[in-house]
Amino acid sequence: MDKVISKYSDHPLRSWFIKQSLDSPIRTIIFSILITLFAASGSRFFIIDDDMLKILPKELDSRVSWDLIQDEFGSTEVIFVAFGKEGKSIFNPGAMATLWDLTKALEATSQVEEVISISSARRMDNNDGFMEIDDLQSDRNLNQEEVDRIEEYLEKNPTIKKRFISEDNQYFLATIQPYESSALNTFRDSITTISNPILIDYEIHYGGQAYLTGTMPELIRDDVVGLAKIGVLIMTIILLANLRSIAGVAMVLMLIGLSLIAMIGVQGWVYHLTGSDRFLFTLANTSMPIILLTIANSDGVHVISKFFKELRVKEDSRKALASTMDSLLIPIFLTTITTIAAFATMTVSPIEPLFGYGIIIGAGIAWAWFLSSLLLPAVISLKKWDNNSIAIRRRSIFENIIKKLGKVVLTHPKYVFTVGVAFVIIGCTGLSKIIVDVNMVNFFEPGTEIRDSMDFLDEKMAGTVDIRVRAEGDMKNPEILSSMRKLQSIMEEDEKVSTSFSIANVVEQMHRTVMDDDPSYEVIPDDQDKVNNLFTMYSMSGDPDDFSSMVDYEYKIGLITAFSKVMSTIEIFDYVEKMNREVMLLEASDLDLEFTGMIVILRDLVDMIVSSSILNIVFSLIIIGIIASIFFKRILWGLLAVVPLFSAVIINFGFMGYFGIELSHVTALLSSIIIGVGVDFSIHYISQFRRLSRTVESDKLSREVIDDVGYPIILDAGSNMGFGALLFSVFLPIQNIGGLMVFAMVSTSIGTLTVLAALSELLKHRLIEKEDALR
Amino acid sequence: MKYFLLYFYSAFLFGQTGLEVAKMVENRKTPNDQSNTTKMILTNSKGKKRINILKSKSMDSNKKQIMWFLEPKDDKGVAFLKIENQGKDDEMRMWLPAFKKVRRISSKRKGDSFMGSDLSYEDMSSRKIEEHKYLRLEDEIINDLLCYQLEVIPNEKAQSAYSKHLSWIDQSTLMIIKEESYDKRGELKKTKEFNNSVLKGYSVMERVFVKDVQKNHSTEVTFEGLEVNLGIKETLFQEKNLKRLPKN
Repeated sequence: MDKVISKYSDHPLRSWFIKQSLDSPIRTIIFSILITLFAASGSRFFIIDDDMLKILPKELDSRVSWDLIQDEFGSTEVIFVAFGKEGKSIFNPGAMATLWDLTKALEATSQVEEVISISSARRMDNNDGFMEIDDLQSDRNLNQEEVDRIEEYLEKNPTIKKRFISEDNQYFLATIQPYESSALNTFRDSITTISNPILIDYEIHYGGQAYLTGTMPELIRDDVVGLAKIGVLIMTIILLANLRSIAGVAMVLMLIGLSLIAMIGVQGWVYHLTGSDRFLFTLANTSMPIILLTIANSDGVHVISKFFKELRVKEDSRKALASTMDSLLIPIFLTTITTIAAFATMTVSPIEPLFGYGIIIGAGIAWAWFLSSLLLPAVISLKKWDNNSIAIRRRSIFENIIKKLGKVVLTHPKYVFTVGVAFVIIGCTGLSKIIVDVNMVNFFEPGTEIRDSMDFLDEKMAGTVDIRVRAEGDMKNPEILSSMRKLQSIMEEDEKVSTSFSIANVVEQMHRTVMDDDPSYEVIPDDQDKVNNLFTMYSMSGDPDDFSSMVDYEYKIGLITAFSKVMSTIEIFDYVEKMNREVMLLEASDLDLEFTGMIVILRDLVDMIVSSSILNIVFSLIIIGIIASIFFKRILWGLLAVVPLFSAVIINFGFMGYFGIELSHVTALLSSIIIGVGVDFSIHYISQFRRLSRTVESDKLSREVIDDVGYPIILDAGSNMGFGALLFSVFLPIQNIGGLMVFAMVSTSIGTLTVLAALSELLKHRLIEKEDALR
Repeated sequence: MKYFLLYFYSAFLFGQTGLEVAKMVENRKTPNDQSNTTKMILTNSKGKKRINILKSKSMDSNKKQIMWFLEPKDDKGVAFLKIENQGKDDEMRMWLPAFKKVRRISSKRKGDSFMGSDLSYEDMSSRKIEEHKYLRLEDEIINDLLCYQLEVIPNEKAQSAYSKHLSWIDQSTLMIIKEESYDKRGELKKTKEFNNSVLKGYSVMERVFVKDVQKNHSTEVTFEGLEVNLGIKETLFQEKNLKRLPKN
């Protein structure tokens, strides 16, 4: 061991690491690649799924109610298919035949539980004293007179009409309910595959939560692949421009690639072994590969650039590499620990996928550290480097910029610090302007096919956001039915809520039909025996499944369903609050009402996102502060380490407020990313400050530190402009993350080299004295 | 119950073709009238049950039938009258005591469920020989009984909700023992099991169990207190008799 110590480092562990790379490079490379491949083999279990419901904790009230409703009434996540022709009435025999074909074809699909359209609906009429229950559309081929009769019936029953026809009578709507066990992506594919050829002569619009959720995996997959390519390209260009060595860039890319495939494989393995939905790859995870890409890049850039610098001085690649690793093993390990800690705080988030995100990216970061500490130096050691190459002889563009920046900072530290504080204050004022929005429709830009379709369904049809009320009580009791109708009327008072329906509507319709179609009887009968009689009469000729979406088998639980157009977050909060108040007023000993549906889910998600963001910021700053304090043996260093991060987080969120960038479950992870990635800069700066304080005079210390770590920090931040790739995402929140991360990279790196550097310069005497005392 | 009796008749007998077997079943000896207490247990896919109990009287092989609801309590007092008319829609009337009104009801779809059960009006109606094609398949032993096996295919006139039935008929009594019914897509829709007994020299059905395999919903119908040839008069099958439950 003594031999090892004397050979590479004064610390046995660092010496052991360096020895593996320099003395046994082939063995180290083979070992690293084999483990990486094993981890990567888990990718066969990797699953993309973006079901909004899986984001919520299972014990959350709205999730519990939702699950209960799914269990009692079947899946409430549906796909809407609207078709028609702008400016032309849909009430014509040709369109009716097409709707018939569509309904029958969809009904024949194994994943479809029910298709709700004019072609599958029933009508209830009083015909010469007969109560007649019949198909609303009796045949595929109808003449215009028969079509007109259907139109007439729907005009007489506006609640039913709203479920089947657009407000302008130009589009038909079919609602398709999957079996609860159906995978929504294959369900969505089969619906579009069947519908498109049948509706070839019409404008088609798809929508609904099931459609969005079913479409997401493919979009996410394409997005991740596309973004990773763009990210790598941006990184490669920046690295090539600065490192000016193809071999050096190739080595960094190798490190990135191996880390990435290992991380994806680990996610697959963990999902396979735990079966937990937390480890599904969701929309929120889309940024994960790009983030690991930049973190792995960061490790690689520090090693390669430091190696080039050492080689310029030592002119011997083995000595240069040993010296490089001796000085970087600790900071890289420390940055790894602090970055993992920052992401680990995501595990306290109530948003389920963020738990998985925190764990998996932690594993990826750990593996990137392993590879950069062992594999990368091993590969570097195998190459014969040309000491006279431009990459080694000359300073790069960034190095020259850093030299000038250092001069400014150290000449005017107070001004620099004041400017930094001013930015933070501006950021603080923007925090109150942050808008939280989790509606997935708003994740797509207007003009995209998916967004336009959803907007169409919102404008022309009843809306796509569902509102549900689960009512527990005797569903044949007139008082309970009247309470349900009253609640429906209150629900419909909001102009965005276009329609609602429940078993109470059916009772009213049956009542009117039995009373010779007299409209004045379209009310709930005052006597329970009458309600009983109505149901019994219906059962003699109607299908028992006709009511299955509104009342359970034993008539003890009913479901009120309403549809609303997209609401803003504020509108959602106001509406849910109002409805909860109304529900409490209407509840009685024999009636229990639970207000739920996608609208409540969205409200709960907003609450969770806000608490998740605050928790992440507070926990990660505390943990990083503690880790830095322990490693650097001083609380002041811990505080200084988090200053640039805290500033960057405030400035970023403040800018989100000023620029109207919404906080969602996707952008909520921004704070963890900023802290996780940005902490590297502080750690490298402080490590070098402490290291050089032992040998360099105090007057020159800060300049030397900036000279030494400024370049890798700026190169690291510059190459992390790979985050800019996220700007090319199809998802608006991911685009926002991209833009904000570019800004965050600038703010954290510049913040380190200005605010932290200025503070260190101002406090250098206290810091150096303490370092001396610790020695 | 008489629906079922007639129903069986519409299929079978041997040494013969499928059609001949069907004619033998149709021509078998049946009682003039019947009375029973019908208990219907409906079970859904989650195991939840609904129980209906009705007093039923019928004649002319169930072409005329009157039923009074006894249970559940919610339905007590409701009564139902059905008269099948040759070449016309069935006439169905219902007494709604809470409204004090008799209402005529109509269902144009033969596949519609009867009282929310797995039995449709088509399942309960006579299967007209001329509206079906009968193919005799290999005989089989079911529950130790040697059975004719018939494939019954409805033609367009039948306006059936099914594409075909496979029926097993006890060769000794000409009573149906088991049946499978297939939907228009050719997929198995319902399985039916029948239990029969002999009363006053007539073979009569005392239990039928139907399972809708696609909905995983089942219905068990048992006929208790079964009596035949009571001398029920045709005047019983009138609207005015719906309003009061007979003493026996």
